[in-house]
Amino acid sequence: MSNAATIERPAPSGASRSSGMARRMKNGGISLLWALAGVGLVVIMWELVKWLGNYIPMPFNTSDMTMPHVWTMVAAMGEPEVRGSENTVLDAVISAALRSLMLAVGGFIIGVAVGLLLAVIMQRFLFAERGLLPFVIASQTVPLIALAPLIVGIGNRIEIGPVKWTTTYSVMFIAAYLAFFPLSVGALRGLQAPSPTSLELMRSYAASPGQTTRKLRFPSSIPYLVPALKVSAAAAVVGTVVAEISTGVRGGIGRLLIEYARQITSQPAKVYVAVFGAIALGLLVAALVTALDVYLTRNLPKEKNA
Amino acid sequence: MTITTSNLAVEATGVWKVFNEGQANEVTALQDVNLSVDTGEFISLIGPSGCGKSTLLRVIADLTEATRGEMKVAGHTPHEAREQQLYGMAFQQAALFEWRTVRRNVELPLELQGWDKDKRKDRAMELLDMVQLADFAEHRPWELSGGMQQRVAIARSLAVDPTILLMDEPFGALDEMTRERMQNELLRIRKETGKSIIFVTHSIPEAVYLSDRVVVMSPRPGRITDIVPVPLGDARDEDTREADEFFDAVTAVREALRGHVGGAGARAKVGEV
Repeated sequence: MSNAATIERPAPSGASRSSGMARRMKNGGISLLWALAGVGLVVIMWELVKWLGNYIPMPFNTSDMTMPHVWTMVAAMGEPEVRGSENTVLDAVISAALRSLMLAVGGFIIGVAVGLLLAVIMQRFLFAERGLLPFVIASQTVPLIALAPLIVGIGNRIEIGPVKWTTTYSVMFIAAYLAFFPLSVGALRGLQAPSPTSLELMRSYAASPGQTTRKLRFPSSIPYLVPALKVSAAAAVVGTVVAEISTGVRGGIGRLLIEYARQITSQPAKVYVAVFGAIALGLLVAALVTALDVYLTRNLPKEKNA
Repeated sequence: MTITTSNLAVEATGVWKVFNEGQANEVTALQDVNLSVDTGEFISLIGPSGCGKSTLLRVIADLTEATRGEMKVAGHTPHEAREQQLYGMAFQQAALFEWRTVRRNVELPLELQGWDKDKRKDRAMELLDMVQLADFAEHRPWELSGGMQQRVAIARSLAVDPTILLMDEPFGALDEMTRERMQNELLRIRKETGKSIIFVTHSIPEAVYLSDRVVVMSPRPGRITDIVPVPLGDARDEDTREADEFFDAVTAVREALRGHVGGAGARAKVGEV
């Protein structure tokens, strides 16, 4: 067939996949170098500002009390968390961050599930979109600080058999509460994205609404879903940290931040270590979502997920 | 007429389609359409934009409902015909799902009908073989040229082995050379499968080259104004495009179109009745 000659035959998929993987790893290595260079630049700027503060007046306090040296912060990581304890500050921050990570991921998963479900319902039934969407939007205008004690208060009365509601659940609930919104709005747009022709095609095949959702709407929603997942993940992390602070739940990075902030006069470097912990937590979640992104978009043309 | 109802692929009797009926923005898309398409016949619907040719196809396909009149598709209501997959459809956009391989695109209608995996695959490969794209079965649609994508769409429309093929300007977005090659391809497929085909097009030569009869339509209100038979027989090839009979038929269709396009203003009043 003469048409067959008009496009080059690509290499067998196995080979193209492995070369793609190698390229991705190489690109990953370069990005890592850039990221490290960025961190280095921030360190240099930080110290430069501190040093300049000794000679020219700065609009903010550059003393060691508010802006400790980078090496003081690194040293603070190795100090015992409380006097005489074997646990270092770094140990405490890592374990707190991991605990918060669990809560954030839990909240994210619940939020994604709820968000998707709402999006499907809103797409399927116009009255649901009209009726639910205002509530979905309104839900995000309630200040979190007002919500947290409410959820703890209501939650504490919940007891289903052997399972008793704890403040941990409240934290997860709040994370999910923030995470579901960007996802449901993004997923709704995605589910409505298929072209009229594709929808008519499904109709001509006498496909059921469920089949149309599964075989057409879900796959076409992925380009919309991916950015929504990123925003949701970030919301889940912020929700977790803020919820830990406002509910006073112990063991997480939010609570640690507050505790260390109280010690700022004696050990100003300590609070920065906790901040780094929070940042690392955010980056870890972002990495998880990126992995999810790569998985979801594996079958789509590459220029689309660039 | 010796033809019984069951021998007709499509039978339209007094079909009307009126949008926004009774309102200020009322549009008569189809006015009193009567049309019989024999089983195995190739019919083209031709006419300027707004003449209702796509609407007529959509009524046949049960993508929209006739306001008045009766439509029979292979002896059934359009709804039954759709539910029983008696027709396959191809659009101007190939509308392939980009997340599926070429083969899995062809399998889609079978998947929806609950065919099992192996049978699905065999059938899809058989069809891809027919449109000469078997080598591209595991490729993604975006790796294919426009003409190749359209051939996949045709293979997909044939997947459930429908008796009727409905095609809405399937070659409209292709360049002239690809288009002529696709026309030959379609005639070959038609010969191999014996499908009844209803083909919407803007192109007079395309309609003449492909069809047994060309249905000429006119806008405001959309209606059939002429049905031009094409006496070119079944054996058509590149030489046919240069034959006198071909040009005669092209002229006949062109005159049928011109005769009505010119008087559109005067006819608009008739449509208001």
